[in-house]
Amino acid sequence: MSLILLSVFLPTVSGILLVVSSFWEHLKAGTATEKRKKGILKRLHLYVGIILIFTALLALAAAWTGEREITLFYLMKDIPIYFKVDNLGRFFVTFVSIVWVLAGIYSFTYMKHEREEKRFFGCYLLVYGILIALDFSGNLVTFYLFYELMTLASVPLVMHSGMRESIMAGLKYLFYSMCGAYMGLFGIFFLYRYCDTLSFVEGGSLNAALVSGNEKLLMIAVFSMLIGFGAKAGMFPLHAWLPTAHPVAPSPASAVLSGVIVKSGVLAMIRVVFYVAGAEFVRGTWIQTAWMILSLITVFMGSMLAYREKVFKKRLAYSTVSQVSYILFGLSLLQPQAMTGALLHTVFHAFIKCGLFLTAGIFIFCCGKNRVEELKGIGRKMPKTLWCFTFASLALIGIPPASGFVSKWHLAQGALGAPVGILRYIGPAVLLVSALLTAGYLLPIVMNGFFPGTDFDEKKAGNAELKEAPAGMLIPLMILAGLSLLLGIFPSPLTEFVSRIAETLM
Amino acid sequence: MQFVQNFPFMSIILTLFSGPLSSILSGKKAKYLNLAVISIVGVMSAAVLAFTVSTGEPYVYMMGHFPAPWGNEIRVGVLEGLMAVFFCIIMLLSMLGGIKEREREIEESKQNLYYIMVNLLLSSLLALIYTNDLFTAYVFVEINTISACGLIMIRQNGRTFVAATRYMIMSLLGSGMLLMGICFLYGLTGHLLMSNIQEAVAALNQTGAYHLPLVISLGMISVGLAVKSALFPFHGWLPDAYGYSTVSSASILSSLVSKGYIFLLIKVMFRVFGFAVVWDSKVINVLFVFGISGMIIGSIDAIRSRNIRRMIAYSSVAQIGYIYMGFGLGSMEGFIASIFHVLSHAATKSLLFVSASGLTEASGNSAVFGELTGAGFRNKVAGVAFTVGSLSMVGLPAFSGFISKLLFAQAAAGHHDWKVLPTLIALAISTVLNTVYFLKTVIRIYTPVPKVECKKKDYVTITMRQQPVKFAALVCFIIINLILGLFSQPIVTLISDGLKMFA
Amino acid sequence: MNSVIMPIVILLPIFCGALVPVLPFKSRRQMEFYIETAVILNSVLVVCMLFHRPDEVFTMFRLTGNLSISFRLDDLGTVFAAIVSLLWPLASLYAFEYMQHEGHEKVFFMFYTMTYGITLGIALSDDILTMYCFYEMLTLITLPLIMHTLSRNAILASRTYLYYSLGGAAFAFIGMIFILIYGDNSQFIPGGVLNLVKIGNKGNTLLLVYVLCFMGFSVKTAMWPFGAWLPKAGVAPTPVTALLHAVAVVKAGAFAVIRVTYYSFGTEFLKGTWAQNVLMVFVIFTIVYGCSRALKETHFKRRLAYSTMSNLSYILFGVVLMSPAGLVGALSHMIFHAVMKISSFFCAGAVICKTEKNYIHELDGLGRKMPVVFTVFTISGLALMGVPGLPGFISKWNLAKAAVLDGGTLAVIGMGALLVSALLTAIYMMTISVRAFFPGKNFNYQKLEGVKEPGIQMLFPLLVFVAAMFVFGLHSQPVISALTDLAAFVK
Repeated sequence: MSLILLSVFLPTVSGILLVVSSFWEHLKAGTATEKRKKGILKRLHLYVGIILIFTALLALAAAWTGEREITLFYLMKDIPIYFKVDNLGRFFVTFVSIVWVLAGIYSFTYMKHEREEKRFFGCYLLVYGILIALDFSGNLVTFYLFYELMTLASVPLVMHSGMRESIMAGLKYLFYSMCGAYMGLFGIFFLYRYCDTLSFVEGGSLNAALVSGNEKLLMIAVFSMLIGFGAKAGMFPLHAWLPTAHPVAPSPASAVLSGVIVKSGVLAMIRVVFYVAGAEFVRGTWIQTAWMILSLITVFMGSMLAYREKVFKKRLAYSTVSQVSYILFGLSLLQPQAMTGALLHTVFHAFIKCGLFLTAGIFIFCCGKNRVEELKGIGRKMPKTLWCFTFASLALIGIPPASGFVSKWHLAQGALGAPVGILRYIGPAVLLVSALLTAGYLLPIVMNGFFPGTDFDEKKAGNAELKEAPAGMLIPLMILAGLSLLLGIFPSPLTEFVSRIAETLM
Repeated sequence: MQFVQNFPFMSIILTLFSGPLSSILSGKKAKYLNLAVISIVGVMSAAVLAFTVSTGEPYVYMMGHFPAPWGNEIRVGVLEGLMAVFFCIIMLLSMLGGIKEREREIEESKQNLYYIMVNLLLSSLLALIYTNDLFTAYVFVEINTISACGLIMIRQNGRTFVAATRYMIMSLLGSGMLLMGICFLYGLTGHLLMSNIQEAVAALNQTGAYHLPLVISLGMISVGLAVKSALFPFHGWLPDAYGYSTVSSASILSSLVSKGYIFLLIKVMFRVFGFAVVWDSKVINVLFVFGISGMIIGSIDAIRSRNIRRMIAYSSVAQIGYIYMGFGLGSMEGFIASIFHVLSHAATKSLLFVSASGLTEASGNSAVFGELTGAGFRNKVAGVAFTVGSLSMVGLPAFSGFISKLLFAQAAAGHHDWKVLPTLIALAISTVLNTVYFLKTVIRIYTPVPKVECKKKDYVTITMRQQPVKFAALVCFIIINLILGLFSQPIVTLISDGLKMFA
Repeated sequence: MNSVIMPIVILLPIFCGALVPVLPFKSRRQMEFYIETAVILNSVLVVCMLFHRPDEVFTMFRLTGNLSISFRLDDLGTVFAAIVSLLWPLASLYAFEYMQHEGHEKVFFMFYTMTYGITLGIALSDDILTMYCFYEMLTLITLPLIMHTLSRNAILASRTYLYYSLGGAAFAFIGMIFILIYGDNSQFIPGGVLNLVKIGNKGNTLLLVYVLCFMGFSVKTAMWPFGAWLPKAGVAPTPVTALLHAVAVVKAGAFAVIRVTYYSFGTEFLKGTWAQNVLMVFVIFTIVYGCSRALKETHFKRRLAYSTMSNLSYILFGVVLMSPAGLVGALSHMIFHAVMKISSFFCAGAVICKTEKNYIHELDGLGRKMPVVFTVFTISGLALMGVPGLPGFISKWNLAKAAVLDGGTLAVIGMGALLVSALLTAIYMMTISVRAFFPGKNFNYQKLEGVKEPGIQMLFPLLVFVAAMFVFGLHSQPVISALTDLAAFVK
């Protein structure tokens, strides 16, 4: 059996089994003793851990051992469910797998204070499988299929806690995503008509003969796809779900939502613009301008909102809104270097944001603190955690030599080199301002954490009993923080790989 | 000349004389005499029908062998035969269906009077059908009016007196107009026999002389007969007359008396003026407009009424509207549809009246809708019959109403002037309205009420054993309805042959 | 196969149904056995007939002149007959368990089984008159089913249903008459039967008549503004709302519209006229209107009924596109919606039957007690939303394809409406699932003590439908290519 299918089906099937067994458990409710429950939990962790690591290995093997493609079956006459491994897919699968496994390991410890672990891990595995399939998708319909499934399977993650707030947030997430997906579908219907094939072809496959005369309609369609898929990436105007939904999920879930799942929106845009419609169709049109302006608005707005936000996880979520639009801005320039920057930022932001959310999770798990001002002086008791947070923050702000600097450098360079009128100057300026704001909303936490001031009373703040986070949570966090630092110091292999992708697409 | 050719004359005379004969009989004997006469006349008419169908052409029967223009003539074709048979059947069934009610509602001493009236009525109807003489027609129209008044009034309560008086006034108004029309015609042509008038009118029409007087006389006759057959807006007398008289009267009045006038009108149009004159005169446009208005307004009135008998009565206004609308189309198809509707409506309306009386009987003799709830379970045959009648009125396939609707619509759709869409849309709207009041009632009679309540309100359950005659009549009605609905082709052929013989 | 089979499959259920109250059954089980046997036998006959199609016309009897009641099986009839005959045995099975809590089963099953025959009559009609006759009969025969509970609401609902349906048929009647007069004959012939010579300069009148006729038939498909009866009729027992008001009756309306459009008036005459545009506007409006009302509705079954309203207009949207692709889209949605909606109604019915809960806000936490029911409900909800892998996506895809091929402004707007409606569908279906599975952190499950999954008679049909949904969703090719062949005649 093909490695691709194996890496998709293994987590999917085992995830579904877990979900079903969680229902089974409820139907025979409450016969197990405390001790037996513990045993079940241990076995559950073992099971999930093995599947996670095994899947990651399979996925990486599928990605990096040669060219692969497979047609599963035909959904409709000329529309197969078709998987193909290409460079972009390799790139995405790799960082998704790293983040997913690390957050998974982290959640073994974290989820102890939540209920219904079986359901959580079931959905967690399920989403992983779907994401792998999404990254390997070889045509637009297959992509759309897994895109929808990803939304649906990740909704239970958001709703997990069962609080009213999180249920409403989950619904909001669902409806925004669906709205986005349907806008995307609107475009797909048109592209199906005007493209030779819906399979991903570098440079796009628009049929010039069919298109001529219908450009306006097609542009509306493509733009609607950008807005629609932009919903997942938190792009203005469909961004509002993100700051609501990400914070209410359990922290490992918020980490993967913010770090990875929003990136599938980015992936969708890349696939649509560079692999189906073609960059040339978009270049120089009102779509490109609108796309740039929307992403810049989002960059600025996200940072501003994050700056004003006092709830820690919400602040991080707003930060995601802003940072993902860096990527979108890079893409919208349709320029190789900017795209290199965008792709680099994709992976960097994944590691960084995942790390930041895991930190937030540790604070909630260990001391139940979720507001920024409560974190004063926390660095004295949990220095390792806060140091990780510091590294990640520096990377996000883009202070050399941390990773964010590299990507932002490429973004700015690309922007200046792109023929996009006045926006080539406005763009980098907005990025710069946003970086300053990023510093403004992240660094005070670090400073207050380490230097609470002379009049700080540990007892009053409730910090007296605090201890460093358990190893099961700390190690994944450290790896992520380390990665976000190291990739900035040794960026060249990654940059080379990514710029190769960018070159082939322009 | 064959013996069977005497039958029309004999049937008129037979019914005419059985009337006075009844006056010296007791109520019960008069009843049997009446039923016997109707049956005999029916059989004779059937023989006449068979005869005319077999010869394929009409024949003229001279009274006392005086030739025209002095003698009085009877003219018999397929259509006349068909009408006579049909009228007899309906009348017989209506009489059978209302025996119980008549015994209850009419004073013992006046029972035989009722049968006198019925016999006279039948004789006048037959005369209207067969006669070839305009003045004879007028005479029998008057006999008809008077006996109909008697039928209304015989159930002696206040409302029937009022109703009968109103009927009398309106009817006499109509007769007066008819008479004036006939006078005009006589003045113009100097004839009273239909065939002769037609020749004279054709001649006048060719020269173009006396155009206006001709139109006026046609208008007088049409409007006069329209008043008598309760065409909207002359229908004010109808709901009371049909709604409060005894059930046999209501059913005879609605299904036969008004149809007799309509048949006379058709005769006048075809046999007296000739189709061409009628078509030119635009009088039919007036009839068309009133017909369509009647279809809608009659139904709306029916929806607003709170009493099942009055509802059925108002529905007659709507159905008469259909018939006049068919005339108004002015095409052969339109007339065929109208005549078919005469039959279908006669069969259905009397069915409805009789079954409604069965339902009210099971509901403490109250005709108010509120009391009828669940009546279909208490009197099963009447319930089924009422349902069949309602479905036929709404025009559902397999019932006679569907065929007449179909014929009307086809006549309209094949038409070549502005009447196409108004007709079709009026048909559709009228169907909707019919649905509203008839099927609402059907739903109501099939909504069960708790047993306790039945006892409290002294509802009774009526089984087939208790009233075999009425149930037999209802079943016959249903069968007639289904025959008209499912095997309409021979009847439509008869009608169109008959119309051809008219011209 | 001999053409006598056609009246047999129509009359068999009618007779078997009529016998239900008469036969002396010793126990309930005997009655169930009898009905199920009759229905399955009939379905087997129908399926045999579909595979070995009788070629000739079977004329039952002549009504007047050249008008007759006659039957013939063609491609389109095959589709409808197949839907009906495959769903009926399952729905009957479901009804056995469900009707235990309603009572008056004998009367119910009498009419329920008779409806089967009449629906097949519509599918097998050879000409417009036959179809009209069965169409009217369908209205009447289903009336007692809506009245079943005899509550005041049921009576009012049945009245509304009656007025709307018969009123619609009265307008459809006009169309029929014009076909009889201006057609070469009254049979259903691919491409239509209108005789352009006879029409002469009456084109516009005929278009108006077509619009009236379309609207008349689309009363059954609950097109705005004639759809108010459908949600009201939700008072009927669930087997009725599920099978009749999501499939048999309402699809009969859609079927009639297809017949009239493609087989009587003919698309050549209609395409590109004002009539097409007017109807398109109505249809598009209904698509959005139905969904919006569903969103506002808090009654479980009524919400699904509004959803049906919107989904039926998907079918009509395909029909008014008047292209081969449009017909394929319409028919595929006709098939797929049948499965999707019947399963979601059955889930609603299971909840009502087992818990007596009718409103959506009462459904909290039921997902844990009835996981199978709500999983099926969620899957059918996803299918209705058009998630790929489930059949709703396939039909939506085909409809959208047809709209894009058409390329007109209204068509594109219509496609947009499809997607808006999909979003609204997501909202009104998923909120129910979410409620059931995520009742809130402090939900007290004690309240639901004693609530159990329904028995196998109810679950089996549900599982069959889920399987069918996945099969259709993942492997729709045979169906779609068959439909494409069917629609090839459209120019």
